[in-house]
Amino acid sequence: MAYIWNFHFLIQLGPLLLAGLVNTIKLWAVALSCGLAIGLVMGIFRTAPSAILRGIGAVYVESIRNTPGLVLLIWFFYALPILTGVQSSAWLAAVVSLSLYTGAYSAEIYRAGIASIEVGQWEAARALGFGYGNQMRYVVLPQALMRMIPAFGNRAIELAKATTLASTIAFGELLYTAKTIAEDQMRPLETYTVVTLIFTAILLPVSYACVWLERRVANSNGGTPRE
Amino acid sequence: MALAAGKENLGLMPYDWNFSIVLRYLPRLLEGGAYTIALSASSIAIAAPIGIFFGIVRHQRIPYLLPIAVIYIDFFRTSVALVLICWCYYALPVLLGINLDTFTAVTIAIGLQSSAYMAELMRAGMQSVSLGQWEAARALGMPGHIRLRYIILPQAAVRMIPLFFLLVIEVVKTTTLAGVVTYPEIVYEAFRVATDIYRPIETFTIVGLICFVFLFTLGRVARWLERRFAVVER
Repeated sequence: MAYIWNFHFLIQLGPLLLAGLVNTIKLWAVALSCGLAIGLVMGIFRTAPSAILRGIGAVYVESIRNTPGLVLLIWFFYALPILTGVQSSAWLAAVVSLSLYTGAYSAEIYRAGIASIEVGQWEAARALGFGYGNQMRYVVLPQALMRMIPAFGNRAIELAKATTLASTIAFGELLYTAKTIAEDQMRPLETYTVVTLIFTAILLPVSYACVWLERRVANSNGGTPRE
Repeated sequence: MALAAGKENLGLMPYDWNFSIVLRYLPRLLEGGAYTIALSASSIAIAAPIGIFFGIVRHQRIPYLLPIAVIYIDFFRTSVALVLICWCYYALPVLLGINLDTFTAVTIAIGLQSSAYMAELMRAGMQSVSLGQWEAARALGMPGHIRLRYIILPQAAVRMIPLFFLLVIEVVKTTTLAGVVTYPEIVYEAFRVATDIYRPIETFTIVGLICFVFLFTLGRVARWLERRFAVVER
């Protein structure tokens, strides 16, 4: 028996799906900004001269990266009220866990980027009288950031995928909305197909852009930005 | 006691941690872990052959099959695991008109997605074999498939081993999503235990630790393999 496809209800319920997508994008944007900030601090920790800071960075990165994102998310969902006394919400738990998740992976990107800068750059900056902080701030990071951009692009894609985890704690993002619609209309095939296509339509161009950027960065004088 | 609690009232609820009760349910959690491993193994069993096939197609630019490989790899590479799992569990049975148990549905979803990563890994492995090897094999008069079979693939395989391990780690992490469609893996089991004993935080702390120990060990093995099979290019 051939299945009769019917997308009509999805056009009617389009605004609902759109609201879900907006929530997904909100979660993605907030977690990405927080994650990149945490990653910067932890990435610098991991390359710091102090063994204590390197240790803190290593413990953070290893513990987050070796725990499945879903377990982190659920853990924060239950533990946040106890740890902070703040009434937990799906939004807060999702933001905190996804930020820490992205932070751990981007810390490794920062670390690799910083490590890719030749020792000569550090030495030259020191010879000019820059302290460690200023060497990092004015000489190393600006050069390293250029090389890291494609990797951050890939991280952003992975985070966009990870936002769907928040559907498990009933945060109203795209997948959760779709689940509600699918159950309500008893049309899972059309609903989930459309959600799959929405994600592909957004992420595929971004992924191509990353590959293009990667080539550009690789071609631009061995990764060093030109004047 | 009430007074003392009132004095240090910083908005923090005093929480009475109790891990011992969770430890009594450890066998159930570990059973969930066994299901997680079974699901990972079957997903890899699907991902590896498909990935190797499309990886070779993509690297060798085999006519007619190449566009299929590109579309397949790019689609599944950018698809979302949880959405695919939901699609395979809720939508695929409707499309096929048959019943799929959770194990099969999730294996298909994770297997297909991982096969795209596997294909990229395969391609990278083949690309890493230096051009001289291809030329030498051709100079000896080896036809295409013999060249692949005896010269290129053995060398590519060695370089891929550590990366393959990292893929396995990603697959294991992804299988924790299977609980969403009621497959009894470790997170699903943890939810059931947590509801039984009303101790979600302790339960998920223990589950987090189990996952950490398992994945950390796998990661160390991958790192060791990386050193062991490090290729010195001359």
